[in-house]
Amino acid sequence: MHIPDGILSPEVCGSMALAAAGAVGYSLHQLKQTVSTKTIPLTGMMGALVFAGQMINFPLVVAPVSGHLLGGVLASVILGPWAGCLVIALVLTVQWALFADGGMLALGVNIFNMGVVGAWGGYAVYAGLRRHLQGPQGTVAAAVIASWLSVLAASSMFCVEFAFSGYGRTYDLTNLFALMATFHSLIGIGEGLITGFVLSVVVKLRPDLIYQPQDAATASPAISTSRAITVGVVLALAVAGFLAPFASEYSDGLEAVAERMSFDSLAATDPTVLVLDDYEVPIGENPSWLWSKLSVSIAGVGGTLAVLAAALLLGRGLKPPASRTGAGHAA
Amino acid sequence: MPRDFLDPFSRGSTICHRLPDRLKLIMVLAVIVAAMLVPAAYWPVHGCLAAALFLAMSIAGIPLRYLLVRLLFFLPMILGLAIAVPASNGFARGWDVALTVLMRGTLSFMGVLWLVNTTPFDRLLVAMRRLGLPQTLAAILSFMYRYIFVVFDELQRMREARRARSFTRRGFFAAWQSNAQLIGMLLIRSMDRAERVHGAMCARGFDGEIRTLE
Amino acid sequence: MSSTVSAQNPVLRVAKLSYRYPSGQLALKDISFDVQPGDRVGLVGPNGAGKTTLLLHLNGLLPGADAGVEENASAVEVCGLPATQAHLREIRKQVGFLFQDPDDQLFCPTVREDVAFGPLNLGLSKEEVLRRVEEQLAAVGLSEIESRNTLQLSYGERKRVCLAGVLACDPQVLALDEPTSNLDPRARRGFMNLLEQFPAAQIIASHDLELILDLCSRVLVLDQGRLQADGAPEVIFANQRLMELHGLEVPLSIRYGQR
Repeated sequence: MHIPDGILSPEVCGSMALAAAGAVGYSLHQLKQTVSTKTIPLTGMMGALVFAGQMINFPLVVAPVSGHLLGGVLASVILGPWAGCLVIALVLTVQWALFADGGMLALGVNIFNMGVVGAWGGYAVYAGLRRHLQGPQGTVAAAVIASWLSVLAASSMFCVEFAFSGYGRTYDLTNLFALMATFHSLIGIGEGLITGFVLSVVVKLRPDLIYQPQDAATASPAISTSRAITVGVVLALAVAGFLAPFASEYSDGLEAVAERMSFDSLAATDPTVLVLDDYEVPIGENPSWLWSKLSVSIAGVGGTLAVLAAALLLGRGLKPPASRTGAGHAA
Repeated sequence: MPRDFLDPFSRGSTICHRLPDRLKLIMVLAVIVAAMLVPAAYWPVHGCLAAALFLAMSIAGIPLRYLLVRLLFFLPMILGLAIAVPASNGFARGWDVALTVLMRGTLSFMGVLWLVNTTPFDRLLVAMRRLGLPQTLAAILSFMYRYIFVVFDELQRMREARRARSFTRRGFFAAWQSNAQLIGMLLIRSMDRAERVHGAMCARGFDGEIRTLE
Repeated sequence: MSSTVSAQNPVLRVAKLSYRYPSGQLALKDISFDVQPGDRVGLVGPNGAGKTTLLLHLNGLLPGADAGVEENASAVEVCGLPATQAHLREIRKQVGFLFQDPDDQLFCPTVREDVAFGPLNLGLSKEEVLRRVEEQLAAVGLSEIESRNTLQLSYGERKRVCLAGVLACDPQVLALDEPTSNLDPRARRGFMNLLEQFPAAQIIASHDLELILDLCSRVLVLDQGRLQADGAPEVIFANQRLMELHGLEVPLSIRYGQR
């Protein structure tokens, strides 16, 4: 997920960096208004935690490859969307500056994909679902779904950026997009599982740590309904976009991916390396296959945009909370 | 946890380590931008950049072995991304894109690798601050860097304790659950610590405004 | 001690302080005591007695000062000022707090920056801040490590840097939570010698009864959130029944008559 330099064009990197800077600045502004003295310790500590948490390997079925936590939704569920976005930006910056993980020019892209699309968008989905899923199980379930979607949205965002980097003009990228979407729907399951397990511990032992927005808007049901609808639409879009190919007559999709995954065991964590497989890409022979993949990517893009729109809507709706609840007390 | 295990060569004393940090930051940025903007047809330019980077690495005393290991982990990823375009076009066209991406990506990666292994994080932070990184962000980053080590040590202790008490190999699902529970416990402890640190900051008059000796 | 003068102006006054945790559990009940300038007062009691909670009240870290809870705040008075939101800044200037775990308190990248953190927040000039940093690091015997990174310090050094950071704010009262826990005997003795030098009033919460015997002229016994005894350590610690009732033990130096 850490996009290196040299993949995306400088223009795309530049504009994404601007967008990311704006989003981080806005998050910081929101935090300063609500938890001014706590911003540094809370986000800094959560950054350190996510950083350390990413170093814990989760074994996959095939031994040499392992997954790890990404943490965007986790941070947002604990600290709220603003701090969550900031935490991911911090983690990415430190990973770049400490061990050259992710590019330098691409830092803005990575922050945007994972911090803005992933954490803000993920939180938007989570907050929307929370209105319908009550209780501690509801928190966990909403976070699991939001994590899964946030990974998909971030990868779709990358596809869009890749297309805009000039490659899309001369070359056909639909297969790439289809693969990205397929593979990240699997990665997303891992992220959802980890986030769910982590949160179930927190919910059980310290439910007070879960972020509770104290916005005035909660009082007005009209807004929450419209939010719920928005989120529902987002969910429907995403599910339709990402699951439809599997449900279609091309049920071999999962099989093929599983086959490729085992091949990938030697290589790395990145999805697209899968294409190295000798699996024949039947381009041109079967136009409807192409169409199904095309629909995947279109849905992916649409889903991303919808998540973004939802995030913006939520962002406007959320009034700055008066103060955080007494989440945790100094021991 | 040793302080430099993430950037093991960053505290050397070669000429590369003594160059002004801001200069290094801008130089590496220039290398990356150059690698991206120069068309692939002018590949000798990329070759020269690569040679210069290798030279800089050896001057900085970064062992070839370390470089190779890092490249070993990096190359499959960039290779995967690079080959995506030809793969998407039936392996008939798009090889030029693949080569370009591969060349540019590897060059940029080596540039950043050189930078982080000749500049410790705290100095890099000062350099970024002088290049316009907002103060609040710089303060949070340095706070985070401070506590990465504390959280890591805590994680290490919890892992030891878990290892001391687990006697059987468990299944795939259980391993995931137990790893995630570790993160969950660490999260609770870290958030409690954040509250205590917040108390310690307030106890010394912190009111949200960052004041430094600069 | 000129008790007639100072008795009218205690540097710290706690009157009928009660506190419940957010969970509803009672933490402190009707705690009252005064501390005169220059006094060193020990605070002992079993784990969970409320020692840390009591200390946290002394400089307004509880009851959730940032949540705006005022009901209890006026139970604590520092230098004649009630510890309410309005006086928080002044209170925190007057009461220094040393946390048990130095990692909770040492959050800056270098020693110099960390010690300077408090004075900078007091709004002092750069020259004055640097002067205080040097003065306090010299006082804790760590002048030579001023520019060192906080990650490179030993536990004992971190503890002393924390103390320097608190003292640099020039507090009238020093609240110390387990100041010598996890220190080796030499570092512990060194730390006690440091505490003995400082003129500020001190409240020392500790399980180290020998330390309290050595340093303090008075001790408070806290158990189940209530003040159980208040008096001279030699007298209270010799009372075996009282000590065992509150999860404590008569110190060996008293039992074997070395005092």
